[in-house]
Amino acid sequence: MSPSQTTDRRAAAEGRAAFARPARRRRQAPLVAVAAAFLAPAFISLLVLRIAPAAVALWESLYRQSFLRGGTVFVGVENYADLFGNADFNNALLVTLLFSLVVNPLQIGAAFLLAVLYTRKAAGAKIWRSLVVLPIAVPPAVSAVVWSVIYRPDGLGNSFLSLLGLPAQPFLTSPQQSLASIMVLLSWIGVGYWMLFLIAGINDVPTELYEAASIDGASAWRKLWSVTLPLVRRPLAFVLVADTVSNFLIFAPVQILTKGGPSGSSNLLMYDIYTRAYTLGDLSKAQAEVIILVLLTLVIVAVQFRLLRSSDTA
Amino acid sequence: MSAETAQAGITRRRTVAYLGLSVLGACIGLLFLLPLWWAFVNSLRPGGDTFRYLNPLQWETFFTATPTLDNYATLLHSDLGLATLNSIIVSGITVVVGLAICSMAAFALAAIPFRGSGAVFIVVVVSFLIPFDAIAIPLANLFRDWNLQNTYAGLILPGLGNGMAIFLLRTFFLAIPKDLVEAGRLDGLGWWGIFRRIYLPLSVPSLIGAGLTLFLFQWQSYVWPLLNGTDAQHILGPIALSNMQGQFNVDYGVMFAGSMVLTLIPLAIIIAFQRYFIQSVSTTGLK
Amino acid sequence: MKRKLLAATSLLAAGTLFLAGCSASSPNSGTAIGSEGSGTGTVNLLGPEDPATLAPVIAAFKAKNPDITVKYSQVPFDQLNPTLEQRLGAKDDTIDVYTVDQPRLSQLAAQGFLEDLSSLKGQTKAAVPDAQYSVNLYQDKLWALPVWNSTQLLFFNKKALNAAGVKYPSIDPAQRLTWEQVVKDGKAAQAAGTQYGLLLEQVESYYQLQPLAESAGGGSGITGDKMLTTDINNPGWEKAMQWYADTFSSGLSPRGVGGFQTSPIFTSGKVAYFVGGPWDIGNFAKSNIDWGVAPMPYFAGGSQATPTGSWSWGINPASKNKAAAKKFLEFASLDPAGNLSTTDATTIIPANAAATAQYLPKLEALGGDKTKGLAGLIAHENTETAKPRPVSVGYIQFEELMGKAFADIRNGSPVSERLKQAAQQINDAWKQL
Repeated sequence: MSPSQTTDRRAAAEGRAAFARPARRRRQAPLVAVAAAFLAPAFISLLVLRIAPAAVALWESLYRQSFLRGGTVFVGVENYADLFGNADFNNALLVTLLFSLVVNPLQIGAAFLLAVLYTRKAAGAKIWRSLVVLPIAVPPAVSAVVWSVIYRPDGLGNSFLSLLGLPAQPFLTSPQQSLASIMVLLSWIGVGYWMLFLIAGINDVPTELYEAASIDGASAWRKLWSVTLPLVRRPLAFVLVADTVSNFLIFAPVQILTKGGPSGSSNLLMYDIYTRAYTLGDLSKAQAEVIILVLLTLVIVAVQFRLLRSSDTA
Repeated sequence: MSAETAQAGITRRRTVAYLGLSVLGACIGLLFLLPLWWAFVNSLRPGGDTFRYLNPLQWETFFTATPTLDNYATLLHSDLGLATLNSIIVSGITVVVGLAICSMAAFALAAIPFRGSGAVFIVVVVSFLIPFDAIAIPLANLFRDWNLQNTYAGLILPGLGNGMAIFLLRTFFLAIPKDLVEAGRLDGLGWWGIFRRIYLPLSVPSLIGAGLTLFLFQWQSYVWPLLNGTDAQHILGPIALSNMQGQFNVDYGVMFAGSMVLTLIPLAIIIAFQRYFIQSVSTTGLK
Repeated sequence: MKRKLLAATSLLAAGTLFLAGCSASSPNSGTAIGSEGSGTGTVNLLGPEDPATLAPVIAAFKAKNPDITVKYSQVPFDQLNPTLEQRLGAKDDTIDVYTVDQPRLSQLAAQGFLEDLSSLKGQTKAAVPDAQYSVNLYQDKLWALPVWNSTQLLFFNKKALNAAGVKYPSIDPAQRLTWEQVVKDGKAAQAAGTQYGLLLEQVESYYQLQPLAESAGGGSGITGDKMLTTDINNPGWEKAMQWYADTFSSGLSPRGVGGFQTSPIFTSGKVAYFVGGPWDIGNFAKSNIDWGVAPMPYFAGGSQATPTGSWSWGINPASKNKAAAKKFLEFASLDPAGNLSTTDATTIIPANAAATAQYLPKLEALGGDKTKGLAGLIAHENTETAKPRPVSVGYIQFEELMGKAFADIRNGSPVSERLKQAAQQINDAWKQL
C-alpha cells in the first residue's frame, strides 16, 4: 500500500461527514450499474449453472415419470407427501439432523484450536499444519478405502486399540458407531481445510493486542476467549456456515463405506438422494428430496446468520 | 523477587511452552499424516500385500524394507498422465478465471453500497446450498443443447462461479476498513482501481483460500465429466484413477500409487502458498 | 428481510420459467432418431472395461472389416449406469454400442434405450447357452447379444485344510459339498489356526447370494406374471439368510470387510474356503499360497444352483451408424473367433458356446495342477445348475434394496424382520413403475 494512500486516509474520514450523503444520492444510479458490472460474470454463471438447474429440479419434483405407462404426469406435491410418509426417508432426515448437530461444532472447535496451536511460535509449525491440511487433497475414493482399512474388524483402528489395551470396536458394522466413524473420517478430511481460513483470520489479529493482554496478566485461556475469538468472528462465521453446508452435501464416504447402514444408521440425506437419482432412477422423487434438503439447509443457515447478527450487536 | 529472576522465569516458561507446543503440533500433524502414510507405503508394495500387516501392528505396517516402484511403472501405461495434465489445465483455468469473477462479485457485495445487494447475496448463498451432484443431470441436458458436451469449456464452466468462494471473499473484504475506499476515491481511484489496488493486495490469504476452494472443486470432479460425455482425450484425474479399478479386482498398490500422484499437486500448492498466510492486513501496517 | 426474500423468490420464479422453456424445447431438438448409416466409418463403443481388455476384439474386427474403426471409451464401473441413463436419455449419438449389465436389460429396453435385435434371434439361440439367450429377451424380443458369461466356484486353502485334517473337496460336481459341511470344515480349520473359515467374494451382492436362496427352495425372490411381486419372506429365503447371518455371528466369516478387499484375504492365507469367480484364478495363481478349486456348495436336501450371467452388448437406438454397429456386435458375440478374442486379455468366460469350448482348457491351464478338471466343471455349471437373475423391469431397485438388506443381515439384524422390511421397501420403490 502506498504511503500517499495512508496519509490521505484521515482526510477522507474528515471529508466523508461533509459530503458523503449528497454524494451518495448523486451516485445512486451509477452505483447499481457499477455493482452490476462487477457482479455480472459470477452472478450469471451462478444463475445459469446452479439456480436454473435447481429450478428444473423444483419443477420436476412436481411430476412423476413412468416409463411403463410412458411419459410424465403432474402430481403436485404428491412426491413430497410420499417422502414424508416413508419411514426410510424420515429416518434419513433424522440421521442428517443428528449428524449436522454433532459434526459441525466438533469440526469447528477442532479447527479453531488447531488454528490457535499452529499460529503459536513453535518448531516446524508450518510443516505440521501442512500435514493437517493434506487430507483435503486426497481423492475422496482413496480416503474412503484407507479408512475402510482402519475400521475393519481386523484393521488398523483395532490394532491401535489393542496396543493401548482397549477392547476391539465394531466401528462401521454397528448401528451405534457407524455415524460416529463417518464423522471422524470427515473431520480428518475437513478440519485442516477449515483451519486454514481461521489461521488467515488469526494472523489478522494484531500482535500488540496479545501483548497488551499479557501485560494485564491474562491467562492463555482468557486471551483465547477474549482476544482471539472475538477478532476472528468473521472468518469463524464463514467457517460455520460453509462447514454446515458442506456437511449437508456429504455422500461419497457413506456410499463407499456403509451404504447408509447398518439399519439406516448412517443414511445421510444426500446419499439417499444420490441412490434415489442414480441407482434407483427415481428422478422426480430425488428432485423433491433435493428441494427438501436445500430448504432445510437454508433454514439452518438463516438461523446461523440471525444468531451471528444478534451476537454482533450484543 | 528481583526483576532479573522474574525475567528468567518468563524466559524459562516461554522455552517450556515453545517445546510443548512444538511437540504437540508435531504429534497432531503426524497423526493426520498416518492414514496417508500407510497408503504411501502400500504404493511401494505389490498389491497383493496391501492387507497383510494390519493386525497386530508391526513395523511393516508402516514401513517396507523392500520398496518397489512397479506400481508407479504401471501408471505409465495408464491414462493417468494425460488425465493429470487435463486436470491441471481445467483446474488452473478455473482458479484464474474463477478467482477473477468471484472476487469481483465479492467486492461488489462488500464494498459497493447498492440497492438489492442483500437479495444478490441471498442468491449467492442459495447457490452454494444446492448440491451440485444432484443438479448435474438437468445441467448435463442443458449443456448438451448448447453443444458443450465433451469440451474443455463444458468441464470448466460449472466450476467458475462458486458461491462459497464469493461468500468467503466477501467475509474478508468486509474486514477492510471503509476509510480506505474513501481514501482511494480521493486519490482519484475508480471502483476498479480500489478493487485492484486496495482490496486485492490486502486479501492475499483469503484469495488463496478461495483459490483452493475453486481448485478442489475441479480437482475432485468426477460425476460431472462423465455425465458431460467426456472422452479419453479430455479425461480427468479422478476418472482415470477410478478406471484403474477392474470390475472384479482392484490392485490397491496401483490405486494408491495413482492417488499419490493426484495428491502431490495439491500438496505442492498448499506448501508453496503457506508463506503467504503470514502476510495479512496486520503485517501490512494496517489495523 | 421480507423484501429480500421476495426478491429472491421472484428471481427463482423467473429462473423456473426460463427453464420450463428450455426443458419443453429439449425433446424437439432430437428429431431424427438414429439411422442405419453407411455400414462403414467409426463405431463408438462404451463400457467399463480397461481399454487393454477390448483391444484384441477391436483389432480382430478391424482386420476383417478394414473400413470400420471401433473407438472405445471407458467409464468407471460405479458410474456406468448413471452415465448411460443420462446420455442415452439425451439421445447422445456418440454412443453406438454399449455394454449392458444383463439384469438391467429389461429396464433399458422398456426405456427405449436399446435397438431391437430380434432378427438375430435364431442365430443367437443357436450360438449361446439357454440361460444366456433368455436373459437378453424382454417381451419376447431380443435386445442385446451376450458377450461374456460367469459362474462361481469354491476355492480352498490347502494348508488350512491340512492343518485341520480336512479332506480336500473334489472338483467333481457329483461330489459337491453341502454348505453344512463347509461350515463344519471351516470351523475345524479355524480351530486349527486359520483366522476365518469361509468368505464369499461379493459379500453383499444378490448375484452371489441368490443361489443360497435358490438352493434352499426360496426361489429368486421375484414372482408374478409381470415379475413385480416380491417373494423373499418364504421359508427358503429365511433359511438361507439365517444360515448366512450365522456364518458372521459365529465368526466363521469376518464382518466389515467388503467390496474388493475379500480376495486379498484368501491370497494372504487367512481363510479356508472362498467363494469367487473364474476371474480370481489369474491372481490366485500368482499368489504364494497353495489352493484348489471345487464346485459351489448347496444346502443338504436342496437343489444345486450357481450364479450365471455377465455382460451383453446392445445398440443405442440414437446411433447414426447402426449397420456397422450391428456388424461389430455380431462379430463380438455370434462369431466364435470374435467372441473368443474378447477374452484374450482378461479372465472371463465367453458367452458363445463354441468359444467357451475353446476357452475353458486355456482357463484350466492358467491354474496348472490346481485347476485340473475346471473346464469340465464350468461346462457342467453352465448347462446344468446356472440360475439366471430374474428378468424384471424392477430388478435394479430390487438388487439395490436387497444389497442393503444383506448388509444389515450380515451385521446382525434379525433375519425375518429385515426381509419383511426389504419387501416393503422394494414394493415402495416399485410403485413408481
